[in-house]
Amino acid sequence: MLTNYIKIAWRNLIKNKMSTTINILGLSIGISACIVILLFVNYELTFDKYHIKSDQTYRVVQHTKMPDQTLYWNTTAYPLAQALREDIPEIDIVTQIAGPMRRHFEYKNETGKSIKFEVPYVVFADAHYSNVFNIQWLAGNPDEALAVENGVVLTKSLVEKHFSKTSNNYDTILGKTLFLNSKDPLTVTGIIENAPGNTTQKYTMLIAYSFFKKHNPYPSENWSGNYQGTTFITTKNKEIKTGLASKINTWKKKYLKPEDDKRITYALQPVSEIHTETLYGSSPGGYTIPLKTLYIAGVIALFILGIAIINFINLVTAQSIARSKEVGIRKVLGSRPLDLIYQFVFENSLLIIITILISLGITMVLLQLLNDKLSVIDLQLALQWDHIGIVIAIGILTIVSAAIYPALILASFKPIQALKNQFSIKNRTGLSLRKSLILFQFIVVQLFVVAAIIVSQQMQLFSNGDVGFSKEAIIITEAPEFSKLDIYKEALYQDASITDVAFGSGPPMAVNGLQLGTNYRLSGTPVETAMESEMKIAGPNYLDFYGLELIAGRNISENKEAFDEFIVNEKVIQAYGWTPQEAIGKKITINEGEASIIGVVKNFHNNSLQHEITPCILMNWAYFKNNAFIKTTDINATTLGLIEDTWKQSFTRGIYRYHFLDEAIAREYAIERLIFNGFTTFSILAICIGCLGLMGLMSFITARRTKEIGIRKVLGATLFQNVTFFSKEFIGVVLIAFIIAAPIVYYAMNSWLESFTYSITMTPWMFIIGGLLTLVLAIITCSFQSIKASLANPIKSLQTE
Amino acid sequence: MLLELSEIFKWVTTGGNRTYLLKGINIEVQEGEFISLMGPSGSGKSTLLNVIGMLDHFDEGVYHFLDEPVQNLKEKHRIELYKKYIGFVFQSYHLMDDLTVYENIEMPLLYQKYSSSERKALVADMLDRFNIVGKKNLFPTQLSGGQQQLVGIARALISKPKLILADEPTGNLNSKQSEEIMQLFKKLNEEDGVTIIQATHSEANASYGSRTIHLLDGRMVKG
Repeated sequence: MLTNYIKIAWRNLIKNKMSTTINILGLSIGISACIVILLFVNYELTFDKYHIKSDQTYRVVQHTKMPDQTLYWNTTAYPLAQALREDIPEIDIVTQIAGPMRRHFEYKNETGKSIKFEVPYVVFADAHYSNVFNIQWLAGNPDEALAVENGVVLTKSLVEKHFSKTSNNYDTILGKTLFLNSKDPLTVTGIIENAPGNTTQKYTMLIAYSFFKKHNPYPSENWSGNYQGTTFITTKNKEIKTGLASKINTWKKKYLKPEDDKRITYALQPVSEIHTETLYGSSPGGYTIPLKTLYIAGVIALFILGIAIINFINLVTAQSIARSKEVGIRKVLGSRPLDLIYQFVFENSLLIIITILISLGITMVLLQLLNDKLSVIDLQLALQWDHIGIVIAIGILTIVSAAIYPALILASFKPIQALKNQFSIKNRTGLSLRKSLILFQFIVVQLFVVAAIIVSQQMQLFSNGDVGFSKEAIIITEAPEFSKLDIYKEALYQDASITDVAFGSGPPMAVNGLQLGTNYRLSGTPVETAMESEMKIAGPNYLDFYGLELIAGRNISENKEAFDEFIVNEKVIQAYGWTPQEAIGKKITINEGEASIIGVVKNFHNNSLQHEITPCILMNWAYFKNNAFIKTTDINATTLGLIEDTWKQSFTRGIYRYHFLDEAIAREYAIERLIFNGFTTFSILAICIGCLGLMGLMSFITARRTKEIGIRKVLGATLFQNVTFFSKEFIGVVLIAFIIAAPIVYYAMNSWLESFTYSITMTPWMFIIGGLLTLVLAIITCSFQSIKASLANPIKSLQTE
Repeated sequence: MLLELSEIFKWVTTGGNRTYLLKGINIEVQEGEFISLMGPSGSGKSTLLNVIGMLDHFDEGVYHFLDEPVQNLKEKHRIELYKKYIGFVFQSYHLMDDLTVYENIEMPLLYQKYSSSERKALVADMLDRFNIVGKKNLFPTQLSGGQQQLVGIARALISKPKLILADEPTGNLNSKQSEEIMQLFKKLNEEDGVTIIQATHSEANASYGSRTIHLLDGRMVKG
């Protein structure tokens, strides 16, 4: 019996190559998209859950009340960890890190050759760190590796890149010496597996915290500064945890200065929530993604699967007309309805299983594409055996919904009518069910299309919107030695294609985390009145270089070791209610010292466009002036080669790296771009699947009504009349879908746009274009089938007996 | 007695009016009979055959098949009954286009409990008997109408039914093919003792039967 089913199923698939392909294609696209999205969501939700102590561990976060706002910090003062450890016994383990930071290293290999390399994510961690967070040790003693004062633990990728390609001699690397910044010696005490992608604990190298403390005595004993320190606590007892935060908050006055004690509150954040909580921001190199976004992505995944399943149902039931004779014969020959249900469920399931296998292939390709595309966020998605559950769940869902309904329809045909290709009136309910499925499909299609149009407009704003400074054809390199800046600059000017060179702490907009923070207040006012500001180091030609506009006062005069002049943006003077003219000459105190305002610059976007423009103080200072900005007439390999050569001749310390400003800015919108690409892809998918479904339904209808078309034609209906007759009800469906979809998409996109400070306003044409696009595609699809039916010779269609 | 119909009525209701398709049909059929149903189009021949074949229900009356009251049987039992005892032959053959001659003949056996070797033997036997061994791997569309009907009859006979119901079996065939098919029916009836009820328009075909029942507007009339 089974072989007979397989035989029939196979021959049917072969016979209807076209519809089989459409069927498999539509469903496998839907399934792959669904799997990819769910894997992504699953991946994002697993962040830091793999640590055994994940549910007992909390990050200490800090809420700082400023006069104008509350700041949420994911970092805390360095001495906090030791104090907690000594004073609060309820806490089982306290661990602290500094970083991640970018650092340079040097070591001598066997042949005595000196090798220099840069490590992007150096984390200084204390000896408790590996006790709290899961780390897989490949060599060295986990308990002691970070307890040694100058101990350094390398990740596998570092070892493979700079020490040894093979993995069998890790132990020989232990005990080797490397030099931080080519001077401070460190001893390799351990080798560990690379940090997985789904962790907020980003590190490519761990160095003992005691080393950091020794070399940074001031910050590591300073209770008022938030540097790059993070404190984690672990407590097994949940009940203790509830009272712990308040206990810490009453205890902190023992160490904090009174003014700090007043404005600082500590809170405990479960580590498993770090990744999905945007309030505290992400650490360097990391990113956060709101839970809401993930849920929406999950719903979208199910929507796509839903429309693909609906499509499959529509196409299979449409084809069942052609199978009615078979049903009739089988019934006459003694098949029970259950036998037929088995047969068709089996047949559809076979098709679905083939489809799922194809989908898995597509999924792997898609995942690779996605990983490559999102290397910025170090996405490491892969299809693994762990995910078999997701795949099976999708498979069962698909089979239950897509295989059983058409089978029931088919098996319910009455034998005599089936043999005569007559269908009772009762089947009309089947039609209206399918019509409502189509309605649902088109609601989803319009949601995606309109959303994609709106997101594309917002992306347009991100990439082409006015940011208040020029960003084209600018190359950024590091400038590690202050004393050699002029040499570098003069050497660069030798090339005609280089038109301008400026120095500073970073470009006008904070990219790659190039932003310095400080507090400012009017000189002579108490510390409590201090407000948060960005501090930007800028050389004398910085304003000209970026086309920043002075609206009052004058530019920075000349290069000096220490700073004595401030240029502020409009945000700063707004805080005091000054006019630009009034601001000139006012004395301001920042954490780093005091100076007078000599100029006011027009607001420019110092943060990427998701965020508001914040107060910004520009000053010319020797410290932090460690980036060079190079403007060229033409970016090409020769210029880049020349810049590299010049750099290497000018500086002896550091490692040459460069990036393009516009690209760096574009990277700030990686998540938004992901959303945009997602919507574009999904709306194209949805349109394809939706049109396939419509096509299936139309062929079902035209097949049922061939006779009617024939009669109409004999009675003199023109092709156009016939086509409109059959297409118009589906055009109605598309219109109803639009009416339902428009408010949903308006509401959803409105809340998305609200999350940006600078956003486009939605206009009716965005909706109208989306609706029209879908309508036109629907009309084309409908016409295709009805023209085919109308062109058929009426003699044939009327001769059905 | 093979089957007995008494006072069978069947009707459809349209707009509150009953239109009778069968009206007070009384037939007794003994095993080994060859009955022809005659009458013009719309007289109820096909409907009556479908009722006898249990493919269609009736609204009133009593139908006993091998002493089983058909009207009281559940669908499942009805299917069991007809798949065991009744074979159908259709005017337009109703072969499955996607299956070969061999597979078409084998099909009824798949719905009954036969092992694959038994099926093989039975189908081989049938192919042999109808002289179509050479055509067993062809598909129906590759055969002439007469050959297709031959396959249809072979399929009806494969599960060794007591009764063959044939609805205008030669309606789509030319006169020579018709005659061959009717000869075959006659031979099956006489040599194998298969009971046959056929619906036909043709006096010539009817004459092969041992008894003719005339129908008009759903009633039995005297021929």
